[in-house]
Amino acid sequence: MSGFNRRLGLKLGAATSLMMAASFVAPASAEDVFRFGLAMPLTGSQALYGQDQVKAAEWAVAEINKSGGVNGKKLEMIVLDTQADPQLGIQMVNRLASVEKVPVFVTAWSGVVKAVAPIANDNKVVELSIGANSPDIAKLGDYVYTTFPLADVDITAVAKYAISSMGKKKAAVVYINNESGVVSAEVYKKTFTNAGGQVVAYEAYDPKATDFTGVLLKVRAANPDMIHLQGLVSDTPQVIAQMRQLGLAQPISSYSVAYNPKLVQQLGAAAEGVIATSLAPGVDDSEAVKNYVARWTKEVGREPNGLPYTQYLYDAPYLVAAVFKSLDGKKMPITGENFRKEMLAMKSVDTPLTGKTVFSENHTVTKPVYLMEVKGGKWTRKAVVGE
Amino acid sequence: MQDITIILQILWTSLATSTYYVLFAVAFALVLKVTRLFNFAQAAIMTIAFYTAFVVVQWLEWPAWAAFVLMMIVTLLVSYALERIGFEALRARGVSVMFVFVFTFMVSEFTAYVAALIFGTWPQTIFPTIFWPVTLVGNIAISAWDLPAIAATVAALVAFFAFMRFSRTGQFMVGVADNPELAALYGINKRQIFLVTMLISGSLAALGMFLYGMRAQVLPQSGVNLMLFAVAATIIGGIGNVAGAATAAMILGIIQNASILVISSEWQGFLLYVFLFLAIVFFPSGLRLPKRRSKFVTGTRALPPGSTAPPAASQA
Repeated sequence: MSGFNRRLGLKLGAATSLMMAASFVAPASAEDVFRFGLAMPLTGSQALYGQDQVKAAEWAVAEINKSGGVNGKKLEMIVLDTQADPQLGIQMVNRLASVEKVPVFVTAWSGVVKAVAPIANDNKVVELSIGANSPDIAKLGDYVYTTFPLADVDITAVAKYAISSMGKKKAAVVYINNESGVVSAEVYKKTFTNAGGQVVAYEAYDPKATDFTGVLLKVRAANPDMIHLQGLVSDTPQVIAQMRQLGLAQPISSYSVAYNPKLVQQLGAAAEGVIATSLAPGVDDSEAVKNYVARWTKEVGREPNGLPYTQYLYDAPYLVAAVFKSLDGKKMPITGENFRKEMLAMKSVDTPLTGKTVFSENHTVTKPVYLMEVKGGKWTRKAVVGE
Repeated sequence: MQDITIILQILWTSLATSTYYVLFAVAFALVLKVTRLFNFAQAAIMTIAFYTAFVVVQWLEWPAWAAFVLMMIVTLLVSYALERIGFEALRARGVSVMFVFVFTFMVSEFTAYVAALIFGTWPQTIFPTIFWPVTLVGNIAISAWDLPAIAATVAALVAFFAFMRFSRTGQFMVGVADNPELAALYGINKRQIFLVTMLISGSLAALGMFLYGMRAQVLPQSGVNLMLFAVAATIIGGIGNVAGAATAAMILGIIQNASILVISSEWQGFLLYVFLFLAIVFFPSGLRLPKRRSKFVTGTRALPPGSTAPPAASQA
């Protein structure tokens, strides 16, 4: 009996010490991989953008790992589907923060960004909003940062441009009655009025509407010399089509959502004079962007949906990798708190497709705005504001 | 602002854009009347119809009439399958109405999901362009889409109501709607009638979707979203009253657009729900004109054996 006990005791002791040794080994191997999260709409109505943005990020991660990773260690991206829905976003980010325990994650779509901000702040995980443009994002908390310019940047630019460079005095604002429309329309109205102009019509339309006659007739009656449209990709072409049909020949400005080649195809001559903003350098501005677009055409057979957004998402892993590298070089533990501190300390990172990214204490970035116009059936660059 | 031109313009365009809503409402109301099913799977039929037309025009690059014909054929096949493989099986098992509703809802969501997988989620239209040139009549802009859409809808509705009123099958459908067991006793083939109902409903919904897809962008979820209007119109028009549903759809469309003249634009979408609420609370049997008291008995009743007087036909 005692023999049994002793042998059993020896075996148990050996097993325990092996397990303890293993548990010392385990965390060390975790440091060989740098992980961050990406919560994007992979399904649902916004997936047309979400999927392309995820693909761009995946390309970047692959490139980074191919060139040696982060100080020789692999960069790993955990991709989860939010459907651009705040509820799902909360579930996914909870998983990233509590189960996957990443120090930083990237997400987009204003509704989701706002909904998950408390989770980032409570768990001290850095939330990088890339693509959402609601101005409130700057005030969501200590751990929420955007590396994509907020609405005030491009909408302010196009509003000021209408007054200063185009000489327009009376603007009409037509916007979709949801999160992105309401907030951005306010920004346009404020900027236009502060710069000395007059907003003669300010009308919303229902997201489910297919006929905008009433709203557009009100706009027509107000006799503006400039119309700003703040809609989404599914309604913008119809609104512009009805505008032209009802005899509104004024120049129409919109934001990046209108900047896609399909718009010209759908509207034909009605697209002439439509101005859209782009927040990233185009093919003519940068060799890297040119190669990027060429790769899309070659591998996927088309241009990416929302090209500028995908450029920012391509740059995101480079941003994250740069901060990881710095943390690793200083042998600091990889936590959200340290990531945030290091990010702010580094100030600026050179990113391949959108130029320099400068982190600021006010949680935003400022970038030049590219104004594009449809001329002669093609998108041409009209101006660059804020360089 | 209350310029006569503006009012006329709104009336005209609302009338034109209410065409597809009317078709969707009639399709839904018809199935509800005859088979007593809330056919939410109509959204699936609409989605399939649209993407068929889209594929024919944009992928195969065949002319528009070919797209229309193929769309109709596919719609009839899908409606046939839905009735024979879906609803009939559920009826044979004696499942509850709730079960059937959930089934139809699942069919629609599943179809939307598959459509998203195959076609992606970029908004699509049947033709590459959605811009229809306008001609000015007086000061009213009439787009080249408006008149053909109205003409097609009117023709379809006239044919439909004539069919219901004057053809044998149409009258049988009314009979089955009124009292299925009694109709069966009279020798009417319920099974056939249900199938015909589904085929007609599918065709009307497909026509509506074709019109819609020519001027607006469609997403895989659009079918489900458009159904809301059809269901609201059916409830407001009175369950069992197909003409009421059609009228309600048209009036709702016009009011929703014309309301911009009186209320702030943000409330437009909300208006639909207000009407629905009012209809359910104050007019649960729909907006009906009060029935004139007639000397003759209307509706069916049990006849004593040996009597030869037929029951008076009820209204479509």
